[in-house]
Amino acid sequence: MKTLPESLPAREGDNLDDANKCMKCGFCMYNCPIYKVDHIESHVARGRNVLIRQANEKTIPTDAEYAERLSYCLLCGRCAAICPAKVQSPDINVAARTDVVNRKGLSLPKRVIYRGILKNRKLMANLLGAAAIVPGVSTKDGKPLRHMADFTSVFTKGLSLPKLSKPFLSSLLPAKTSPPQGVKIKGQVAIFPGCAFEFFFADIGEGIAQVLAKAGYEVVYIKDLTCCGLAVRSAGDLKTAQQMAKHNIQKLAKFDRIITGCATCGSALKDYGKWFGDKDPFKKQAQEFSAKVSDFSEFLAKEGIKSKAAEPVVVTYHDPCHMKWHQGISSQPRELLRSIEGVKFVEMEGADDCCGLGGAFTLAHRDISLAIQDKKMQNIKNTGAQIVVTSCPGCLIQLKDGVRRNKLPVKVMHISELMRGTEDK
Amino acid sequence: MTAPLDLASYAFDGTTSWQSKPDVVVFPTTAEQVSQIMKLATAQKIPVTPRGAGSNLSGGSVPVSAGIVLCMTRMNKILKIDADSFTVTTEVGVVLNDLNLELTKQNLFFPPDPQSFLAATIGGCVSENAGGPYAVKYGVFKHYLLGLTAVLPNGAIVKLGGNTVKNVTGYDLPQILCGSEGTLAVITQVTLRLLPLPPSHRTVVAVFDKVVTSGQAVHKVLTAGILPAKIEMMDNWVIRRIEETTPLGLPLDAGSMLLFELDGTQSAVDKDVESVIKSCQQAGAINVRAAKDAGEAANFWTARRAGFSAIYGASPNIFAEDVTVPISHIADLIDKVQQIAKKYDLTIVIIGHAGDGNLHPSVLTDKKNAEHYARAEKAVDEIFLAALEYGGAISGEHGIGLEKKRFMKQAMQPEAIDLLRGIKKVFDPDNILNPGKIWEEKS
Ligand SMILES: Cc1cc2nc3c(=O)[nH]c(=O)nc-3n(C[C@H](O)[C@H](O)[C@H](O)COP(=O)(O)OP(=O)(O)OC[C@H]3O[C@@H](n4cnc5c(N)ncnc54)[C@H](O)[C@@H]3O)c2cc1C
Ligand code: SF4
Ligand code: SF4
Repeated sequence: MKTLPESLPAREGDNLDDANKCMKCGFCMYNCPIYKVDHIESHVARGRNVLIRQANEKTIPTDAEYAERLSYCLLCGRCAAICPAKVQSPDINVAARTDVVNRKGLSLPKRVIYRGILKNRKLMANLLGAAAIVPGVSTKDGKPLRHMADFTSVFTKGLSLPKLSKPFLSSLLPAKTSPPQGVKIKGQVAIFPGCAFEFFFADIGEGIAQVLAKAGYEVVYIKDLTCCGLAVRSAGDLKTAQQMAKHNIQKLAKFDRIITGCATCGSALKDYGKWFGDKDPFKKQAQEFSAKVSDFSEFLAKEGIKSKAAEPVVVTYHDPCHMKWHQGISSQPRELLRSIEGVKFVEMEGADDCCGLGGAFTLAHRDISLAIQDKKMQNIKNTGAQIVVTSCPGCLIQLKDGVRRNKLPVKVMHISELMRGTEDK
Repeated sequence: MTAPLDLASYAFDGTTSWQSKPDVVVFPTTAEQVSQIMKLATAQKIPVTPRGAGSNLSGGSVPVSAGIVLCMTRMNKILKIDADSFTVTTEVGVVLNDLNLELTKQNLFFPPDPQSFLAATIGGCVSENAGGPYAVKYGVFKHYLLGLTAVLPNGAIVKLGGNTVKNVTGYDLPQILCGSEGTLAVITQVTLRLLPLPPSHRTVVAVFDKVVTSGQAVHKVLTAGILPAKIEMMDNWVIRRIEETTPLGLPLDAGSMLLFELDGTQSAVDKDVESVIKSCQQAGAINVRAAKDAGEAANFWTARRAGFSAIYGASPNIFAEDVTVPISHIADLIDKVQQIAKKYDLTIVIIGHAGDGNLHPSVLTDKKNAEHYARAEKAVDEIFLAALEYGGAISGEHGIGLEKKRFMKQAMQPEAIDLLRGIKKVFDPDNILNPGKIWEEKS
């Protein structure tokens, strides 16, 4: 039986052999957002673990058909959460995808995106920046030429992406944001904005820093961080992902606390320690770094800050998979929301059901993604809430897309937006 | 669906030893579609294996003769919950836990609780006549099956039974389909009987120095005239595994632990709790007490479920057996299993629904170690024989399927097996529905 090659992580959960631990009870089918929609067993952890095991034993080829089955997964972590045998199926899937990439290599467009653009922040800024100059394409320009969102939706099978921010966060946020006059300084934190808050939702990125500052922290922003690497790792390009992790860890080494407002980045940063094999000399440093990472709401829930809504609003909350299932954070954002004066918090049915994005999944399997999204929209509608809050830019994109498609009178907000707009003077 | 990789994921069920790929998987959404498929299959003599979630532990939904897998999971609507006459009518692809969630909302109770409730479909449960811890007091699926709609192999859609608990119109045909493991007809819709949700529950935990003593305690409780809703047993191995994964402060040196659930009206439950505690003390419990509150009780039951998982996670292959003996022989069976474990030098873990005499002696082994595996197989054979000797059954709830069919000859008289064959012939003269299951073909 084949384990991963030496150079790759050989930790427990990343070992392809772990697929053997699956006892085929089928409980994961109960939790899997994809299986719930299509009821196809090769699209859920149990069936996939069997395929991965057979590929390991070389009884089936690791061809395009196989890679396609591996792609039917949001890596949302629900299967692992319910699994009585504690099988880490999402990790096994990532290991299997890595294995495919190691054997076959990446397709050219993916190679360009993962190894070229995502890894190289400056290049990404330049490429996206060129797009931002086109009138009507960026958020701060009102002229209705064409929205970048509509424009890109042609390429994204109808998913409307957010408009690019202009300027990007790097020109918006100073290297240091200090607490306002009269607020006692409690300490210093560094923020990790991630690609989304850097390029697409820069104003939210700015707001995250400001809310932290109001809570009494000096917020340091370092410009040349790179992408967290999760999308790249999920696609099986572990080597590039490791390089990205290394870069970020080294840049942020001197800080004691790193805060991110992105659930996806948070789950990646907290996992960096696991991205390096036991024999890798860098592993220890990565583990130490991971221990210093907190999510925005996880960090602030302990601070007891007071804020007030401009006018009374009904708010509901959507649990991002990378928040609840990967980081185990679900009570903190609710506590924060309940603590805002004027906010009436209502729980929606299936608050922790997936929004259907799953990174690249939504592009590869748009129909399933939409079926999951529709259910979410119905649940949001049923609450009668005016605002749906979440903690992940990926979910923001997917929820905004759903609200637009369903013409719901609902605002989609990152948790920091509500806290920023409603801060007490 | 015909792509080889998709078929591969329909080649197995919850067992570790059986695998066989179908030629095609179909997902009907109506009885009419099932009927068309069956007509085609009969005309072309194509084997058809019905499948729910594929979670059974007997090889029942493995398509050993290839052909069509008829996957019922997309027929997943609950059609009517009738709170006034305490019945529910549902399609067969509904997952048991989803049904329970809906029923609880209306203060209704469907007791049969196979521990696979997160995966198992209603159709699979009816076809395996499944049951769980609640069986002691409330029985199993067949006790709740009032009527059903099924498609015969020739494509005819038939409605059998009705909506009432009392019904003596001819032979009880729904009961013949119940537990038939998909060999007679494809069930598409069932009507089940419900109960009102009992207002009050309490849990009693009793610790013993030996498994055998706990077996005697079960007998003592029942003969004292108390009928707990559940009586579950865990041996020392399981207790220690639970403590490793989810620490609950269980005594690590205890030989065995019993969990009782008492339900009913508050005052009756309180009285029963006293009585159970007394019986356990008389039987020689080291320690026995009621759970402080619902929270603590829930922890114990979660631990019980974790116990089963712990067994499954413990070694590459497991024979999770399912023997059942009359309650008076529980202690004897436990004794025997422990002797067998010693004789073959194996770890055999005991966990089970002690209240109804249904135990899961689980033999830990590894198929890759041929010598060890052979010993494990021998041990399993002896456990089966022991159960039969004590007047028990080789399967309490998991069914025969492929896993246990070689034991049918010991378990049933030849004349009785001929009756099974005869019934099969009436329903399925061409032998196209789930062929190769339950009994061995005459050679
Ligand atoms: C972890 C675990 C714990 C378990 N615990 C228990 C327990 O406590 N008690 C218990 O009784 N069982 C238990 N089981 C086994 C239990 O029998 C099955 O889980 C369940 O009954 C099967 O349901 P399914 O939907 O998975 O059916 P499948 O496994 O897909 O099918 C079971 C059989 O029914 C047939 N079938 C399925 N649907 C239909 C239909 N619509 N019409 C005709 N035939 C059909 C199939 O051909 C097959 O022979 C457990 C299993 C697991 C994995
Ligand atoms: S829940 Fe875990 S053990 Fe059960 S089938 Fe899914 S992955 Fe396998
Ligand atoms: S990670 Fe999510 S989408 Fe993938 S198999 Fe598990 S539950 Fe399904």
